Amino acid sequence: MGKVRLRTRMVRYRWLFVLLLPGLAYFAVFRYAPMYGLTIAFQDYLPFLGFSGSPWVGLKHFEDLFSSPDFPRVLSNTLILALLNAVFVFPAPIVVALLLNELRLSVLKRAVQSAIYIPYFLSWTIVAALTYLLFALDVGPITQLMNDLFHARFDFLADPDWFRPLVILQTLWKSVGWWTIIYLAALAGVDPNLYEAARIDGANRWKQMWHVTLPGIRSTIIVVAILSAGNLLDTSFEQIYLLTNSLNRSVAEVFDTYVYFLGITQGSYSYSTAVGLFKAVVGVVLIYGVNWLARRFGHSGLS
Amino acid sequence: MKPFKKLTAAAGALVLAVTMAACSKEEEKADPADLGTLTLMIPLLSGDAAAPAVDGEMHKAVEALTGKKLQITWVPNSNYGDRMNVTLASDNLPEVMVVQGKLPAFVQSAEAGAFWNLTGKLDAYPNLKAENKQIELNSSINGQVYGIYRRRDPMRAAVIVRKDWLTKLGLKLPETVDDLYNVAKAFTENDPDGNGKKDTYGLVIPKWPGVYATASPYDVIETWFGAPNGWGDRNGKLVPGFDTPEFLEANRFVKKMVTEGLINPDFATLDSAKWDTPFFTGKGGMIVDVSSRAGVQLRLFKEKDATGYGNFVDLTGNLTGPDGKKRSYPTVGYNGFLAISKQSVPTEAELKDVLTVLNKLSSKEGQILLNNGFEGKNFKVTEGYALGQNATDPAIKTITNDVMSFAQLGTASNGYLAYVSLPAGQPEREQYEKRVKFHKADEASAVHNPAQAIVSKTQVAKGAQLDQIIADARVKFLAGQIDEAGLKAEIQRWYSQGGQDIVNEMNEQYAKFKK
Repeated sequence: MGKVRLRTRMVRYRWLFVLLLPGLAYFAVFRYAPMYGLTIAFQDYLPFLGFSGSPWVGLKHFEDLFSSPDFPRVLSNTLILALLNAVFVFPAPIVVALLLNELRLSVLKRAVQSAIYIPYFLSWTIVAALTYLLFALDVGPITQLMNDLFHARFDFLADPDWFRPLVILQTLWKSVGWWTIIYLAALAGVDPNLYEAARIDGANRWKQMWHVTLPGIRSTIIVVAILSAGNLLDTSFEQIYLLTNSLNRSVAEVFDTYVYFLGITQGSYSYSTAVGLFKAVVGVVLIYGVNWLARRFGHSGLS
Repeated sequence: MKPFKKLTAAAGALVLAVTMAACSKEEEKADPADLGTLTLMIPLLSGDAAAPAVDGEMHKAVEALTGKKLQITWVPNSNYGDRMNVTLASDNLPEVMVVQGKLPAFVQSAEAGAFWNLTGKLDAYPNLKAENKQIELNSSINGQVYGIYRRRDPMRAAVIVRKDWLTKLGLKLPETVDDLYNVAKAFTENDPDGNGKKDTYGLVIPKWPGVYATASPYDVIETWFGAPNGWGDRNGKLVPGFDTPEFLEANRFVKKMVTEGLINPDFATLDSAKWDTPFFTGKGGMIVDVSSRAGVQLRLFKEKDATGYGNFVDLTGNLTGPDGKKRSYPTVGYNGFLAISKQSVPTEAELKDVLTVLNKLSSKEGQILLNNGFEGKNFKVTEGYALGQNATDPAIKTITNDVMSFAQLGTASNGYLAYVSLPAGQPEREQYEKRVKFHKADEASAVHNPAQAIVSKTQVAKGAQLDQIIADARVKFLAGQIDEAGLKAEIQRWYSQGGQDIVNEMNEQYAKFKK
């Protein structure tokens, strides 16, 4: 009975299924088919021998990874950056959006919005070049300012202690504007009647924000949180790579640069694929974890 | 409803077309039996110039010389290594590719049979027969030749010095490492630019892109102090160069210079592409690098001061060590090689065909075309030098740029037969002759790497990673981030993370070679 009904439904909505095809084809061809290549993580892959000819080695590369002395360092570097991102970068656009939302002068609001949005379009290479200019030892304007303020000699670019703050600053500068727009869009959807009602009930600005605005954009915040969770370990490769040097490599090496170094520079295709696969698995676990948490706390989550 | 239906049908058709196109692309490959076309992959060196055009004069001339249609993939030099590894991982290799050294992925592929083993095959071609068998052996993988090496001068190391600063302070060119220190000190403290401020330093060192033993200024100075060049034979056994007392001594010396401010303080972060800037703008007074950088500097000064440009750049060769003995840092004698893919050139007959083409390119006529261009057009021969002419003509400019690119295809393993290209001008001429003089004089004291031809399995698998430990530790030591005990600990880390296996494997091979 159910089967028949499904079929009639499929016939009735057949054009909707046709519309679904391009999306499915895209995912099949460009997202799922390449995953076949992941098999090389379980082989001693040599391009000349190909997927079928390379010898199978099972979990050897994963064992190598977990027993490698690099592993704890790379993992902790990646996790620390991810954590800093979650703590500093994630809430920043919410704060900025709330601040902008309080602005009365819409001209000013729009100007600020556009100004902080622009860096999003710059490539990491340009951001890195700007960073080098501003933070160069002895001659960078910010370095000089800090040197004068604290009567010390700052070496932002080489000092490992400054690597993470620099990365977070760069990320904030580049991405806050973009996420702010998303939150501003959500803020625009909050019913003005609610504010009016709150005012009549005697709520001040602070209370209005706390009891009306924030709950109004809560679902957006949660969706953004879940989406970000999947990218938590995606420390932007170019960003990190361009800031790395001999003196700060101990804190700078993350999974993305490690995979590049091993796979592209050293040609250890299989090992680097194994590392990349491990990272991807952690990403999937995080997405499901945050989604599960969101639902535990009574929100709708992604599904 | 009707238009909607049509639209969805069209969308469906589009998807089908896209998927089919994606599939058919997979099957489309270069036809290996096509003997009329030769596919190549070559690094593109000229930074700002475009890749040579297919209908350009140079491209056509090379096609005419070889009798083949050429299909060349020009890859910017800066990411050639990455691109090569990616190409090796694909299943569509060019017939001939420039390989810039024994990169791990290349060694693995070659040993698995992806490239033709040319050992003993090249002697049949007069222009491919190696002039110097030692260099050919150096370019081999444990004695197996997988490519035709691209010959380079055996000696290139030099100290490039601001001539005007020397004159102003009444100093002589350095000859020993102590002189290097003293000149650097004077350049830092005695106001060589005469602006009344202490805003100069002696030696410019950039963030070095390579790992250990990659001809960095550190490697060169270590050799002057008596450390091995990469690997050294100590009591009949191979030892890594950084595990010697001389290595420590050399780096103590450099560290002293860093601490006293004689080296640019941003040596760990200064972009290597901007190495020339501090020297040219009058911030730093010396550079330890290949002598051709002096020519680059001369060109920069010529743009600024077209008449007096000869008064700014001077150079000298390798320096004498603290024990009064001179040890020179040589090149490996080659810069990578041309390797021939077995997949794209499957049969012996086709290999012969390709080698015949390369043989033609390395003839005197071929070498002149690839290295100089067209006589009477973009250069004229004066006293054995190819002097550039009509350089402002845009058409000639294109030729000159294209020649620079095509020179990368030249091997000259049979000896360099083309002219030496020089820009017209007396200072250029004097500088070149000085360079040649120092190169010749230094050859006798060259410290060669006895392990040049040896490739160890662990080195291939982990070498880059391990040598990064040493390169980083060296910079950390110089910057004062770790002390000498820390440096030694990092060297021990190299051993424990796989370095010991490399040492063992290298020595095993070395014993076979010495027989």
